[in-house]
Amino acid sequence: MITTELTYGDLAALIKQSAGVTVAPEQLAGSPETPFSGLGVDSLGLLGIVGELENRHGVALPTDAERCKTPAEFVALVNNALAGV
Amino acid sequence: MSTQRPRPAVVTGIGVIAPNGLRTDAYWKSVREGLGVLGRITREGCEHLPLKVAGQVEGFDASALIDERFLVQTDRFTHYAMAAAALALDDAGLGHEEGPEEPFDIGVVTAAGSGGGEFGQRELQKLWGQGSKFVGPYQSIAWFYAASTGQISIRHGFKGPCGVVASDEAGGLDAVAHAARAVRRGTGAVVVGAAEAPLAPYSMVCQLGYRELSTVDDPDRAYRPFTAKACGFVPAEGGAMLVVEDETRALDRGATVRATVAGHGATFTGASRWKESREGLAQAIRVALDEAGCAPEEIDVVFPDALGVPEADRAEALAITDVLGAHAKRVPVTAPKTGYGRAYCGAPVLDTAAAVLAMEHGLVPPTPHVYDIDCDLDVVMSRARPAELRTALVLSRGLMGSNAALVVRRGGGLAR
Repeated sequence: MITTELTYGDLAALIKQSAGVTVAPEQLAGSPETPFSGLGVDSLGLLGIVGELENRHGVALPTDAERCKTPAEFVALVNNALAGV
Repeated sequence: MSTQRPRPAVVTGIGVIAPNGLRTDAYWKSVREGLGVLGRITREGCEHLPLKVAGQVEGFDASALIDERFLVQTDRFTHYAMAAAALALDDAGLGHEEGPEEPFDIGVVTAAGSGGGEFGQRELQKLWGQGSKFVGPYQSIAWFYAASTGQISIRHGFKGPCGVVASDEAGGLDAVAHAARAVRRGTGAVVVGAAEAPLAPYSMVCQLGYRELSTVDDPDRAYRPFTAKACGFVPAEGGAMLVVEDETRALDRGATVRATVAGHGATFTGASRWKESREGLAQAIRVALDEAGCAPEEIDVVFPDALGVPEADRAEALAITDVLGAHAKRVPVTAPKTGYGRAYCGAPVLDTAAAVLAMEHGLVPPTPHVYDIDCDLDVVMSRARPAELRTALVLSRGLMGSNAALVVRRGGGLAR
């Protein structure tokens, strides 16, 4: 359970892989309220990240996950969901 | 709107990504020299297929030309289109990083023959290999015919009239005409053209059903239209994008007018009905000449479809003769594509780019690999022929039955 926590470093790697956008983990951690749209991550990109996390952890994330506007909101929601497993 | 003066649609930018040249100047140099670049297909997963020879785009460094996010989100055909569009916009002096001042004044139109086959195959393999949850969301847009238009408009912030022409190979010319019409209706400029990426396993298997496809494995003999040795066509990837602009707007901002899109005609005569394509192509030429207000004798060079199928080549030569009459025997005819292949919808746009470049340089480029002509046309062979070129006729036919003709006039002389 502890090893499944999503960090900003993980998220930065997922953003790069799924949406092709390069963003530094420090930037995500430093200003987690910057919206995904401002980072260049569109809704399909976020949907891809959700899909990747679901495949990785073998769980379904809440439908709200793909509607998150910011990394802060997303990381909190995902970690809550994973902790509840 | 205050006057009835027509708004001529002119070409102010050309961008090419082709097997024989990445960038317009490299493309023209190869075309002018009659360089043959057809070769064995080396793409992964294609080695065992009976289609052996094609025009492959080599040395294309997508990451140097396109933002990384577009690379992940789009197929190779869109990479080519985006790179060609960026080149065309730079050439036109419209390549601003910060986006256009009047976003609604610039539109995008592309033609596409098959969409993103390579991307689609990868995702469909995930679907059947791993399950639906492993299919990436960008599959929803990357395979699609409209992908290149959409991504170019997003990348550059163009919000003017956008569209996609899916009318077979001849759609490349129909797209240019569509752009010219948008300009005549009041849009300032349209980024228009086509690029294709048909050299991937799934895409190649789709083409194997075309009886017009050449499966000859010698690159020098695989594609020889208008000769007794004609054995079909060789496919290619890549294409070209143009900036078609309102002439007044272009002159006001000091842009170079490279050519005028003068006339276009399109007809349909049915899939692989090459004998009937004679009448359809002839009618397309008549309509294009009529719209251009151009007499047959004014045509200084013809860039034919040059399919490389004897029946189709005969029909095309007859169509040209039907409309141009005695002039058909005198006008130089050239098919540079025999040197690099047919890039489906991209092919006639590449021909249009070659026509503009030929007029600018006063040179009719040669038709590589073609030596003994088996028809009544003056096909330019071996080396480029100097000529005063004011007006060019570009022809295209699709395997599914579309025929199109485009008349373009040289630019400089028209500037006021």
